[in-house]
This record gives sequence, C-alpha cells and structure tokens, in this order.
Amino acid sequence: MVIKMKTTGGFSILRPNRKLKIILNKGGQMKIQQTAFMLIAVTLFFILAGLFVFVLRFSNIKEASRMIEEENAMLLVIKLANSPEFACGNSFGNSRTNCVDGDKIMMLKEHITDYSGFWGVAEIEIRKVYPDSESTLCTLGNYPDCGIIEIYSKNVNKLPASSNFVSLCWKQDSDMGVYAKCELARLMVSAEDKT
Amino acid sequence: MKKGALQISFGWLFAIIVGAFIIFLAIYGVTKFMGTEQETIDAKTSNEIGILLNPLETSFESAKTTSFSLPAESRISNGCNDRGNFGKQLISVSQKSFNKWTETNLEASFLNKYIFSRETVEGKNFYIFSKPFDFPFKVSDLIYMTSSKETYCFVDAPEDIEDEIKTINQANLLTEDCSENSINVCFSGTCDINVNYNQNYVKKEKELLYFVSDSLMYAAIFADPDVYECQLKRLMQRVKELSSIYLDKAISVNERGCNLDINTDLIEFNRLAGNFVDSKDSDSGNILGFSSIVEDLEDKNDAGGACGLW
Repeated sequence: MVIKMKTTGGFSILRPNRKLKIILNKGGQMKIQQTAFMLIAVTLFFILAGLFVFVLRFSNIKEASRMIEEENAMLLVIKLANSPEFACGNSFGNSRTNCVDGDKIMMLKEHITDYSGFWGVAEIEIRKVYPDSESTLCTLGNYPDCGIIEIYSKNVNKLPASSNFVSLCWKQDSDMGVYAKCELARLMVSAEDKT
Repeated sequence: MKKGALQISFGWLFAIIVGAFIIFLAIYGVTKFMGTEQETIDAKTSNEIGILLNPLETSFESAKTTSFSLPAESRISNGCNDRGNFGKQLISVSQKSFNKWTETNLEASFLNKYIFSRETVEGKNFYIFSKPFDFPFKVSDLIYMTSSKETYCFVDAPEDIEDEIKTINQANLLTEDCSENSINVCFSGTCDINVNYNQNYVKKEKELLYFVSDSLMYAAIFADPDVYECQLKRLMQRVKELSSIYLDKAISVNERGCNLDINTDLIEFNRLAGNFVDSKDSDSGNILGFSSIVEDLEDKNDAGGACGLW
C-alpha cells in the first residue's frame, strides 16, 4: 500500500515501516524532553533551595555582626570612663571610679585623628546632665561653659547609643586658686549600624 | 545484540551521568557550606573573645581574673603587629572539628587591647587575668591568657608576688604543691623560666626580656618573646600618644593658674617612647633606661598637688 502525505511542498510518499520509525522516534524524543525538563526543574529547585539557605545564613551573619557591635558598645561604655584617655586618675585629689577628666578629654579631641578606629565604635560623646544640661557643643573657646563634648563621630549609620552616668571633672580657676569642679554627665557610645 | 553485552537505554545512561553530576554538586556544596559555617563560628568566637575582655579593664584594682570555656577544643592565636599609631592585637580561633583543626584566615583585630600569651594557646578552658600598667601614668591594662592545660609554679617568689598569686586564686597559678608537669618559674636557681627580680629581667628560651614593673614581669613570664616585644612596642606607642595629651593638658592648666614644671620632661619622654625599639634596645640602653625620667615625671606630677595631670 502507498500512503500519500501532504507536505508544504506538495505530496511525499512514505512506506509503512518508515512511519513506524517516525512514531518511535517521536516517543524517544518525548522521553528525552521529559528527562531534560525534569533535570532543569531539579537543578532549579536546588539553586532556589541553595539561594534560600544562603540568604537565611547571610541575614544571620548580619544579625550576629550587629549584635557583636552592640555588645562591644555596651561593654565599652562601662569601662571607657576608666580607660587612660578618659579617667581622672588621682588628678582630682583621690582615686575616683567612673570619673572623666574634662581637661584631658578636650585635649584628646585635638588628637582624635590619631585615635581613629581605636575603640571600634562610631560615636563617643559626653553630655552634661546636672546641674546644667546645656546643648552647646564644647570647643576649646567655650569650654567648660558648654554642654556636649563630642569626642569622636564617624560619618556612618549608627545604632542607638549605650550610656553610663559619670562625673565630669575639670580644674576650675578661682580667686582661691585652682580647684576641682565636677558635674554629673552621661557618657554615650554608639556602634556602627552595618546592616 | 551481542550475547553478554550490557543493555542500557539512552535515558538510563543520561540519568546516571546527570544524577552523578548533581550528587557531586550537592556533596561539594554541602562541604563548602560546612567549611564556611565553621569559619563563621571561628571568626565570631575571635570577636567575642576580644569583646569579653572589655570588662577586664580595671579601674583601681590591682588585678582581676576570670575564665572562659569554648564548646570545642580550640587554638587561640595571639597575633600582634606594631604598624600604625597603636599597632594591632589580632585574635584568631581554630577549632577541632572531626578530629581536624579548622583553617581560618579571619582575624579579629583590636587597637586597644594587649594580650600576653603564647603565640598559640590550646585548650577548651582558658584563664585570663589583668593588671594595670602605669608608666608613670596609667597606660593600659595588660591581659595574660593561659590554657587550663598548663600550670605555672612560682618557686621562691618574693612575698608580694606570692601574696598576689594567692589572692588572684587562679587554678593554674601555684606557689606550692606543684606537679612535675608544671612550668617552673624560678626567682632563684635555674628553671624553665628564670626571673631576676633585682635586675629586672626574665630569661626564657635563652632570651632576656626586661621589665620595669610587676605587670610587665608577668607579661614576660606568660608571653612568647616575640609577643612580649611586639606588645611592649605597642604600649610605648600608646605612651607616646598619652604623653602628647598630658603635655597639652599641662599647657592648658598652666594657663588657668597652675604652675607645673613638667613640659620639658614630657617632651623628652614622648621622644624616647617614639624611638622605642624593644626591651633590650632603646635610646636609653633598654627599657630600664626610662626609669629616671619616669621617676622625675612622677615626682613633678605629685608636686603639682591640685594641678596634677594624672
């Protein structure tokens, strides 16, 4: 028997065993296509799952980094007042803890470029709390008649500050000579927000 | 088809090859992920150790001690470099995982810490104690880190040292009933570590490490010579910065009615600290050469009374 098939170019003649081969080939091609689609789907699944895990992991690392920064700021603020650059030592008569030497701090401000990154935080400042709580920034010109000593500030996003109450002392000139004057202040430390 | 030949269809062959490739990728990915995870843990631990040392800084106490434990057997590497204004304290941690030490290049760095220990301290439990270093003003708190695996036995120590060790009450620092395995620190005779308290030096690994205070003596005992010299250089860098601040403060308080005659000494002290190389070699011979200027500074500051700088 002769079968006539219509093709775009006209009629072609195929034998029956040739037709069977075409059907079989089409079945094979279907199977290969199915396998290929399956493989693409499996690969995509693995990629997506990997990406999901990666994003989850990366957000955990960021969170851990933020927590470490915060922890550093919190622990630093506790001991910073007693560090050599800040502490009163014995310069106001006797040993005092949590006492910040204002005169030394003002000089530290002049050397602050040398101390860049020294404490690993983004901002350190001291605000007078009592009896005066002025909002004037301290400079060598208006010190000690001012309220905020900005010791170090990095131009980055900052986390909320951790603070500690300290006594801020300095040497005050008077008719009776030089004496130690102290006021209540807050030492504030902010860590960098890297998230 | 030939008899005995394996008949595998194309579909099977294709699936086996690609399947093997996917399994290989998965195993490779998991191994890499585990490595990264371990490295993250190491880096996090290094940072946390550094931060945990913050409360150790003292105010007026003579010495403070504490201990910490890590979840697995660990190696803490104590790195130090003296580049920049203050040098750097580097800490890295390698932990034992599946009986192998993890490799890490991630180091936590701190500019305001001075840890004296061996270059690598191995163990699970670690002891740390700290002591202030005054020269003549307070420079920093020195931190001494040891593993619980090592015991130090102080033999014939002067009374004040012996009392201090007893007060610290650190389990691996002994003055009596020492075991055979302990590291002997002798103040007379010959031992693993020899301290000449009168001539201010510690002899270990055939090297002489000079000290000017008890805090530096402990530093020389617990640290490897390279670590000691590097950290001492860093301390001198801080002395240099602090002496500049005190010099400016002296000028400022003199303008407010004080009459401190300390500026020349502070300038000279600043110069000496800036030129410091190591405990054996400096402008003034060795670190002991600083003694006279340190005494002068101390006397002049005390004489200032209410105008004292530190």
